[in-house]
Amino acid sequence: MYLIFQRLWQVNWAEQWQYRANMLMYLLYWLVSPIMYLAVWTSIANANGSVNGFTANDFITYYMTLLICDQVTSNIVIHIFGYKIQDGTLSGELVKPIHPMLTNALINNIAFKVLMILGFLPIWVILFFLFKPDFSSVALSGVLLSIPAMILGFFVSYMISAAITALAFWTTRVYSIHEFYFALILLFSGQFVPLPLMPKLVQDIAQYLPFQLFMYYPIQLILGKLSTEQIIQGFVSGVIWLGISTVLFNWVWKNGVKRYSAVGA
Amino acid sequence: MSPTITVQQLSKTYQVPEREGGFGAAVRSFFKRKYKDVKAVQQVDFKIEQGEVVGFLGPNGAGKTTTLKMLSGLLHPTGGKAEVLGFTPWELRPDYLRSMTLVMGQRNRLSWDIPAADSFLLNQAIYRIPDDEYKKTYKELDELLELEPLMKKPVRNLSLGERMKCEIAAGLLHRPKVLFLDEPTIGLDITGQVRIREFLREYNKRTGATILLTSHYMADVTALCERIIIIHHGNLKYDGGISDLSKKIAPFKLIGMMLTEPDSHDLSKYGEPVQNEEDAAKKYIQVKAEDVTRVTSKLLADLPIHDITITDPPIEDVIEQAFNQ
Repeated sequence: MYLIFQRLWQVNWAEQWQYRANMLMYLLYWLVSPIMYLAVWTSIANANGSVNGFTANDFITYYMTLLICDQVTSNIVIHIFGYKIQDGTLSGELVKPIHPMLTNALINNIAFKVLMILGFLPIWVILFFLFKPDFSSVALSGVLLSIPAMILGFFVSYMISAAITALAFWTTRVYSIHEFYFALILLFSGQFVPLPLMPKLVQDIAQYLPFQLFMYYPIQLILGKLSTEQIIQGFVSGVIWLGISTVLFNWVWKNGVKRYSAVGA
Repeated sequence: MSPTITVQQLSKTYQVPEREGGFGAAVRSFFKRKYKDVKAVQQVDFKIEQGEVVGFLGPNGAGKTTTLKMLSGLLHPTGGKAEVLGFTPWELRPDYLRSMTLVMGQRNRLSWDIPAADSFLLNQAIYRIPDDEYKKTYKELDELLELEPLMKKPVRNLSLGERMKCEIAAGLLHRPKVLFLDEPTIGLDITGQVRIREFLREYNKRTGATILLTSHYMADVTALCERIIIIHHGNLKYDGGISDLSKKIAPFKLIGMMLTEPDSHDLSKYGEPVQNEEDAAKKYIQVKAEDVTRVTSKLLADLPIHDITITDPPIEDVIEQAFNQ
């Protein structure tokens, strides 16, 4: 199995390099909204002194960290897989003795991510010198813990997106469903506004959803804002959500493949 | 030993959404879709023994590809049973997938943007092929298909024929015991077709693999297969030796004649006149097999004939006749 992943990596890594320019466009598009939130909230906080206790530096550190977490935990499985179901290219992969979504697509996504992060690092450094954040609250332990937290977040996000992508077995409208899902992430992950600034109701709902695992939770972890209890809670909820999303994905996938093979692969 | 492929009463009915053109119909179909049943394959039975090369023939839409997809596991049938190498294909068991291959025309097993060599190595890992076995198989494939010069170029820079060679090779690296080939020579020029055919024949001889192939090119079938299965409108029309086909389906012979003043004789009273574009100098008639001797002696007695030949009708015509029955 290790060899499969190694070779998949070689193939997908080489493949991603073929689309460097495309990747740069994607990266810029991706960066627009978080940087805009960063700029807007910082200037509001500067004008008012603070927003509900959030100072300008709080916003800057929050969004600078969000940029990293977003890169690590987000996924593009809908774009690398959705069309395969719709145009039938999946057939070639289904007759191979490996799971198309949990091997090839996953590695493709990770290769994409690594290349994106390589392109993104210099931009982050530039932003760092532009906004001069004060990261004095960050401790090494938080940063180290954030790595497994973000990896966990990535897998939860990947499995949920994979389940949504597999809806393409039934509907061609899967892209709009995924857009709706992105709106939920925007709202409940802490991407649009740091969660504590959201109405109480949204914060309460967010507690029961997996989305803060993608951003709010690892951000707070890195910034050293969580108690030990909160850290444990986060990991436990991450593991539970990974279980739920895996079961959900497997169920959608199994039935989807059955349907695919019923209507004419 | 039990047959490699057993197919019993295999059927597949597609439900195809159907609506009239126009806005009203579009709105109605949004709420209540009408479906039409399309019977792609109807209660087909056949058995294929290990090492056989069988040609699967039929016009477009006859159900060939549907049958092939069911046997490779991509499609669930609506009825009947199929067993290949002891597996039920549509359970998609990894052990089954590792012992067969499906090559579908232009569908790529290879990654478009990278050299085929990388995709080959990936397949080696996926199919768990030990290094020494991989090297051996690759060497054999290279001998037969001359792959080496193609390996380093990105697949998208290969010509259609080169790509097809690589596709087929990629599908055979794991030495599958059963090969399902859907139009393996489609889009290739004559040399390319001949190459692939020779390769498949050699592969079958060397490995004893069972091959089931569909093709539009009759030459593929006549060159490779001793047995053919003809399917039309989802029904099995013929299953047997290619040489018996003309006896069973069209028990006719062609009589070709060189005549002095070829256009001044009425041949229709001897048999049905047939056009032969390849050999316009000769006149041809088609007669029933049992009448050949009688008609020939009559012709020789009646007409100024320089030369006479008696042949089987071309296989294309025979199959055409089978479809029209």
